[in-house]
Amino acid sequence: MLSLQHISKYYQTGGNKTFVLNDLSLDIDQGEFVSIMGPSGSGKSTLLNIIGMLDEPTSGYHYFMDQPVHQLKEKQRSALYKQYIGFVFQAYHLIDELTVLENIETPLIYQNIKGAERKALVADMLDRFNIVGKKDLFPAQLSGGQQQLVGIARALIGKPKLLLADEPTGNLNSKQGEEIMELFKKINKEDGVTIIQVTHSEKNAEYGSRIINLLDGRIESTTTL
Amino acid sequence: MIFLYITNEFSVDSFHQKGKNIYRVMRGYDATKARVPYLSGPYGPALLNDYPKDIKKAVRVMPTQALITLGNNSFNEKNVYAVDPSFFELFSFGLIKGNVSSVLKDPHSIVLTETTAKKYFGSTDPVGKVIEMDKSLQLKVTGVVRDVPSNSHLNFTMVMPITNYTNEEWFTKWRNNNEFVYVELNEGVNPAQLEKQFPTFMDKYMGKDLAQMHAHFDLALTPLKDIYFEESSSFDNVKHGDKKVVYIFLSIAVLILVIACINFMNLATLRAVERSKEVGLRKVLGAMRNSLIGQFIGESVLLTLIACVFAIALLLLIMPWYNGLLGYSLAISWNSPAIYLFLLGVILFVGFLAGSYPAFFLSSFTPIQALKGKLQLGKGGAFFRQALVVVQFSISVFLIISTIMIKKQMSFVKSKDLGYSKEQTIVVPINNGDIYNNRISFKNELMAHSNVESVAMMSGEPGGYYDRHSFEVEGQHETYNARTEFADFEYVKTLGLKIVAGRDFSPKFATDTTGSVLINETAAQQLGFTPAQAVGKWIIDNMRDSNRRHIVGVVKDFNFLSLKENMDALVISPAEDSRVAVIKLKPGNVTAGLNIIKQAYTKAAPAYPMEYTFLDQKFDTTYKADLRQQTILSVFSGLAIFIACLGLFGLASFTAGKRTKEIGVRKVLGSSVQNILILLSGDMLKPVLVATVIAIPLGYYSADKWLQNFAYRTPMHWWVFGLAAIITFGIAIFTVSFQSLKAALANPVKSLRSE
Repeated sequence: MLSLQHISKYYQTGGNKTFVLNDLSLDIDQGEFVSIMGPSGSGKSTLLNIIGMLDEPTSGYHYFMDQPVHQLKEKQRSALYKQYIGFVFQAYHLIDELTVLENIETPLIYQNIKGAERKALVADMLDRFNIVGKKDLFPAQLSGGQQQLVGIARALIGKPKLLLADEPTGNLNSKQGEEIMELFKKINKEDGVTIIQVTHSEKNAEYGSRIINLLDGRIESTTTL
Repeated sequence: MIFLYITNEFSVDSFHQKGKNIYRVMRGYDATKARVPYLSGPYGPALLNDYPKDIKKAVRVMPTQALITLGNNSFNEKNVYAVDPSFFELFSFGLIKGNVSSVLKDPHSIVLTETTAKKYFGSTDPVGKVIEMDKSLQLKVTGVVRDVPSNSHLNFTMVMPITNYTNEEWFTKWRNNNEFVYVELNEGVNPAQLEKQFPTFMDKYMGKDLAQMHAHFDLALTPLKDIYFEESSSFDNVKHGDKKVVYIFLSIAVLILVIACINFMNLATLRAVERSKEVGLRKVLGAMRNSLIGQFIGESVLLTLIACVFAIALLLLIMPWYNGLLGYSLAISWNSPAIYLFLLGVILFVGFLAGSYPAFFLSSFTPIQALKGKLQLGKGGAFFRQALVVVQFSISVFLIISTIMIKKQMSFVKSKDLGYSKEQTIVVPINNGDIYNNRISFKNELMAHSNVESVAMMSGEPGGYYDRHSFEVEGQHETYNARTEFADFEYVKTLGLKIVAGRDFSPKFATDTTGSVLINETAAQQLGFTPAQAVGKWIIDNMRDSNRRHIVGVVKDFNFLSLKENMDALVISPAEDSRVAVIKLKPGNVTAGLNIIKQAYTKAAPAYPMEYTFLDQKFDTTYKADLRQQTILSVFSGLAIFIACLGLFGLASFTAGKRTKEIGVRKVLGSSVQNILILLSGDMLKPVLVATVIAIPLGYYSADKWLQNFAYRTPMHWWVFGLAAIITFGIAIFTVSFQSLKAALANPVKSLRSE
């Protein structure tokens, strides 16, 4: 489903190139649950952003769903990730001015789905995550765990094939984190959604089927569980 | 700048030391019309003679123009005042040379203003020199007076004793109104009491004349300081101001200041968020709330002070242009305390006003909140800011509407079919003895030329002077009042008027000169005739004629008065009262035509330089005040919009900054750049929309008020308001979209980077 070949990303600082990703190659199949680990500055987030097409590599080849992403135009890329990719953030990044319901609905608006259909899809999602009672609350009125739940619901509403999560449990306590991880596992198993998560926690990484360790922009080791 | 203008307007004539006891005698001739200041020669002495207890002094001022010759040079001086010798005792114009009480004692004396003295004599001392007036009077310069300040309703370049004319026959007639009379009342005299005695006075001297003219005159006194703002009738050529214009100015200045203050408050509050760390730190370090408030207000006052310094520099730079706009020169009196007091007042007031909200707002943070930098501007605050933006844009839209309406009315006035042809037509005033005496040969000379279509001598060109006389008309019991025009037989032809009934004057009818008149449709209608019925009826001008004349024709109504006035009845008589020559050229070379006229003029009046105007330029002079208002309003509404947009720009950049995160999220969720743009701009434009809705009725109301000045009004189309709204929106969108676009194009990864 996803193939990165010889991906490099560097910044020109003075005469030197500072590599964030250095000639990295990676293949991920449909249905995998991949955990990316590594110390700070090893390029985890950049890698995730490149996979999510939010960022562009300096060089290399990037294929997603058999499409050469590196050759696509901005608009086509945008259309591609809008359709297939969902994002979950460490800081949740919910829109403060919108209610839970509206937050979950937002991606559908941008996919030009009709109002009635949107309502139905959102209702399903609220039901599935057991947050029907909270649909009219604003993000500030929710706990961190609940906010992340909404974040995940929002990421899944567009029925993505790939879910990208950047330290989804980073701001949560361990119990909340466990619940989120269980949810990820369930989504991966039951819905067949491919998940790539960046994490610092060994324990959370083990929920995945493969762990990739990054160091200085290269893959240091890969562990398949 | 506006302050200068306003103080100037309100200080008119306040410099006269005896000002509070000086009154101008006004004559009323028709209860429905404004009084006119012109009186005849005998009034002044008679008033002084009859009311010695009340009136201390009576000074006659006769504005005139004269040809002044010195050696081989002749100048046509337009503002010559012939006055009673005590003129300079009554008015404090400030003589530099000469004695206030004796300077005009000798009939053969004259007083020049500084500038005039320089013009004639350069730097040599003019006192004792002799100049010649109208090629007949030898006048010796006996004094020099300071230039007339711009805040004086009287405006002259030279002053001569009126005693040169007092023995002339025309001067001694009660009927010949051509001068002003100013009286100084004794201390403690009530002018209202004095006014009550005037009817007897009029009866005593003019009873017979008035009865003969079927007219009724009454007299009134206007205090000196009120003359300037008096309702200016077109029969009063002293300087007048319009209170309305002054108030318009004042309100525009206040509005602009309000807009600017709002900006400052808004931006300062927004900057508060950036400065919250500073505030937090200061608080942690032990600053009290009061000292913080002091700090912010101090900053704001300081800023205003700096702005003031810039403003003064700017003022000095653009002063010449501003004077051009106002039409006269303003003097900045740097040594009067008023201006400093005003500046100080503005600095403190604006500084405090603009600084207060941010000061109280900022200092109310708890230090922890502030230090975290996670400052939430409350919903109330947001609402307040939006309300301020609404106020700003209401003002802007209002000003735009006003500007468009004035512009529209002006172009309406300009393009309106006035009923006469004004193209290729030159107006030459007959304003000196030579040209008056030779006017017939002047006319014949011109008529002989192939370039000249026709020439008519008349008492007033369209837009000019039309005296009001009373008539007796066949079938009317009461005297009938109408405007008069005295012209020769070429009148209708030269102005291209249409005859709707009867015929034009014609030399074929021997009796036309003494026995015929033309009237306009309005006159016919007021007399209760159809145009056809009116022809053949007799009419007597009570003031001029003793014989009946017959109406030979009716001309189609044409706008002989300014469009501010309604169509009035007009009686055109072929009689002698030539004040202007109107010359219509054949289509083609105007310059050549003008040269022909100049040659003929030089032949007729060799000593005088020819003056002329084009009839189609009359527009500019008639509506000078309105055109000026238009310019001023355009400039200031532009300024207002600009300032309001600066504020909006600031607000937009702040909002865009605050919402970076949200924009990032939305982009990641698949929003396109357009979507973000619409979202952000829409939010920002909502207050502008509300403002437009508020401003439109206000604009409608005031435009309607202003249009009441005109008898002929342009319709107020809805598109005016639409246009104003579109202009405002256009500018606002332009302003906002710049920031929105920047925000929308930003890479979401940057804004979402985990903190």
